[in-house]
Amino acid sequence: MDFPTLLNKPFVLLDGAMGTMLQKAGLPLGATPELLNLTNPGQILAIHRAYIEAGADVIYANTFGANRHKLAGSGHTAAEVAAAGVAIARRAAEGTECLVALDIGPIGQLLEPVGSLAFEEAVSIFREQVEAGVRAGADLIVLETLTDLGEARAAVLAAKENSTLPVLCTMTFEENRRTFTGCGIPSMALTLEGLQVDALGINCSLGPDELPPLVDELRQWTGLPLVVKPNAGLPDPETGEYSVTPAAFAVSAAALAEKGVKILGGCCGTTPETIAAVKAALGRLYPPAPRKQPHIPAVCSATRTVPIDRARIIGERINPTGKKLFKAALLREDVDYILTQALQQTEAGADILDVNVGLPEIDEPAMMARCVKALQSVTDAPLQLDSSDPKALEAGLRLYHGRAIVNSVNGDEESLETVLPLVKKYGAAVVGLTLDKNGIPPRAEERFAIARRILDRALSFGIPKENVFIDCLTLTASAEQAAVRETLKALRMVKEELGLKTVLGVSNISFGLPNRELVNQTFLTLALAHGLDLPIINPNVAAMTGAVRAYHLLYNLDPNAQEFIAAYAGMIAAPAVQAAPIPPAVASPTTPAPQSPDDLAYAVENGLKADAARLTAALLETTDPMEVVDTLLIPALDRTGAAFEKGTLFLPQLIQAANAAQAAFDVIKAKLSTGDQPPVSKGTIVLATVKGDIHDIGKNIVKVLLENYGYTVIDLGRDVEHQAVVDAAIRHKADIVGLSALMTTTLKSMEKTIALLHENHVPAKIMVGGAVLTPDYAEKIGADYYSKDAKESVDIARRIIGK
Amino acid sequence: MTDAAPFSPYRAPALYQPPAMPPIDQTEVRRYLGYGATPPDPATGALIGRCAAELEKEARPRALYAAFPLEGLDEPGAPLRLGGCELTLPGKDIAAHLQGCSAVVLLCATLSVQADSLIRRTQLHDMAAGLIMDSCATTWIEQLCDRTEDQAKPLFPGARFTTRFSPGYGDLPLSMQANFLSALDAPRKIGLCVTDSSILTPRKSVTALFGVTGTAPAQGRTGCAHCRMNGRCAFQRKGETCGLSHSVK
Repeated sequence: MDFPTLLNKPFVLLDGAMGTMLQKAGLPLGATPELLNLTNPGQILAIHRAYIEAGADVIYANTFGANRHKLAGSGHTAAEVAAAGVAIARRAAEGTECLVALDIGPIGQLLEPVGSLAFEEAVSIFREQVEAGVRAGADLIVLETLTDLGEARAAVLAAKENSTLPVLCTMTFEENRRTFTGCGIPSMALTLEGLQVDALGINCSLGPDELPPLVDELRQWTGLPLVVKPNAGLPDPETGEYSVTPAAFAVSAAALAEKGVKILGGCCGTTPETIAAVKAALGRLYPPAPRKQPHIPAVCSATRTVPIDRARIIGERINPTGKKLFKAALLREDVDYILTQALQQTEAGADILDVNVGLPEIDEPAMMARCVKALQSVTDAPLQLDSSDPKALEAGLRLYHGRAIVNSVNGDEESLETVLPLVKKYGAAVVGLTLDKNGIPPRAEERFAIARRILDRALSFGIPKENVFIDCLTLTASAEQAAVRETLKALRMVKEELGLKTVLGVSNISFGLPNRELVNQTFLTLALAHGLDLPIINPNVAAMTGAVRAYHLLYNLDPNAQEFIAAYAGMIAAPAVQAAPIPPAVASPTTPAPQSPDDLAYAVENGLKADAARLTAALLETTDPMEVVDTLLIPALDRTGAAFEKGTLFLPQLIQAANAAQAAFDVIKAKLSTGDQPPVSKGTIVLATVKGDIHDIGKNIVKVLLENYGYTVIDLGRDVEHQAVVDAAIRHKADIVGLSALMTTTLKSMEKTIALLHENHVPAKIMVGGAVLTPDYAEKIGADYYSKDAKESVDIARRIIGK
Repeated sequence: MTDAAPFSPYRAPALYQPPAMPPIDQTEVRRYLGYGATPPDPATGALIGRCAAELEKEARPRALYAAFPLEGLDEPGAPLRLGGCELTLPGKDIAAHLQGCSAVVLLCATLSVQADSLIRRTQLHDMAAGLIMDSCATTWIEQLCDRTEDQAKPLFPGARFTTRFSPGYGDLPLSMQANFLSALDAPRKIGLCVTDSSILTPRKSVTALFGVTGTAPAQGRTGCAHCRMNGRCAFQRKGETCGLSHSVK
């Protein structure tokens, strides 16, 4: 018997709980049940046999938590415990048709960036279990009780990269149909199916009676066999006991089977009696009708799925091309700048974000990895990874916990052979550009032919059709006026004859023309009417998002004009269409105070961002930028700093003042980057929250203040490797390295980082801060300065670097 | 064991999803922000209100608690043990705190990954709002612990209770966090985990325990003198407390 053969049966019966059985037999809470594989194999063997006798087609070996993280300090390796677990199950299944699954549960630590477990470390932990389980003779691999789609991906990749066994993956949802980390059912289905698991579904958390709505949602999104392993009801809040009886459980399980669930078993609170009852109930059912693959074109992050059932805006702003500030941000590795760009675009209406971080001077794969990781923690918009470097694409794809779009492949065979395998392996969608090594063909028919070639090659790699999007390429109207209609014609052909979703970068159309916005908006509207699904635009331009909203309204894709009205109601007849700005979730007051005098210093001291920017722009007409900085901005910040020290002004106000100063600095920087003057920087400060520590709010406040005093801050983030601090200090020729740590447990890590800085003769002065730190301890671990708060860090910076 | 222990020993961990959390205590938020008795300027006051509302909408507060019989109090030198569970409570301070107790309730609570993400996003928009959001979360997680405590206490009719005590207080080591969470099956039940440096994740999470006794609880051990922040605490410098020591009941 093997798993594919087993799937020929109308239903596949899994076993029930292991932990419940062991706890009933007296296993203490918090103990590691997998160690019983070594200390009391007979007990485990008996439980397996009971489930086989109850009729299970598959038993899960007692290897759920047999990972090196959970077994640390037990004196046993993960490989040893996992192999022993599989061997016991093998023995129990001897002489029967029952299959043995290597069972893998969550590691027990959260992945970066919420926790500190690196993705590849997670893959490596799972790999160890997979290799041991395969060697010990498992028939299949089960990944279960996962709540983080990122961790599920790490587990699936480990299984797929290190074995050829079938893989089942089930995640645990709450009644709101989301996991603890917010992963939704469609995201799970699209992502895991993309990684080519053999079956997927839901286990634990809820009882069989709570699951029908979840199963209804799941079956819409995948054609794979569905697995459900519910708890025996919800635990009693008083006693923690599970209350659904085997008979009742079986009735509910049969109802789930009738909804199309093929593989059923039990999780917490179930017993061999439960499984026997389910077996009997399934035996009374008609064999289910075969399920069809739904083929829904959609992309997703772990927490949001975007079906491409109408125009979806891809925000184009995360891209250094032609953007001096963005380039500068990339060079100083300012991930926060990129994140801010992301939030602005989604607030303006972007559904998907294009991510291009390519610059010749930087390590693009590393930067792509960093950005993809960080972006996922702040935005739920799916990402489009945009690079010509396959290594950067893979770096991003590996870490992207959803169905990303790869931008792009073209009709050239070399491109197809390099990029499509990555698209297949990571289950992404891909943009195909209708060009090849001969360039962009002028005629629509030729571009269509390339589109067809790209589709054929994608299908030959096993990439489903709905994951192929075609870009018929916008040419600049001022240079190739006749080509515009060819683009639109090709777009319509691809859409209608190939049935593919279409992408188009819109903004290039107007290059070199006056009134670009008008040309862009008109072209966008035409393209939408020709069948464009995924316009790549700047969503911050109200006319562009407005065109998409109006298109939805006019094409009856916005029922009852709800979204249109929500965006524009209250707009009084304006001279031109202007999107109602969607206010950020929460932000400091930016409206000018009614009687605010036209005084930059006043604006800064009162935290009036918009006023500060406006007044600075006005001042720069007549005043030298450095004079504005030195005579107005810095003294204003100093006054707020002094008031903070006296206790007459509080931290939120100090930061608001800094933010207003930041708005002024932004205006000054923009002005300087258009001239030939050097950027305003008083010196470079590398900041990091040390390895092992993830409390970074203090460091982030320090950053805001330092930047507003005109220092260039290289923010390495939190949980930063010791060596990464050294490297950045050297690379950026830092004047100061600032380190923060909040916990007693991570002060050691701070000490190590400082030692490494000294070992490498980094000339920068070292400043440290953090709640549990004291001046004495700072001195003891070799720091040059101890800073008690953000304000003092500025004083120290001035002392070291000068004004 | 004290004879008045009104207690049927072991209770399996119970999931506590508060049906309705109280709104975030904005007075407390202002205190965390350092305002003390000074009212914030109107703009900041309004911002606190908006942050609180946003957090109440996005976070998914969850908590767990379980009661265990306490063993080993009469064995000087040996760490306290919990019956039916592999956890021990090493250190002099916890032993003093739990003097006279027959049982211990372990609890853990989290505001969820969604709260972490909201704080991060808010910081990106505006650091001042980010700081306020962080303080709102710090306030709310304490309120969640209070709620969880209120939920657990009726398990012991007529009993008296000590104040909460957490790993990291006094000489109760932070390194026990992993075992503490395992005892409650917290990673699986509420998605609360711990890093190798013993930091709870999601960030806005708490583990704590309190003792159950039939007699008056030993209360002397939760003041500033027993805190690891003693002497370097920002509240203390201003003559205030962080709130943990004033919660002595």
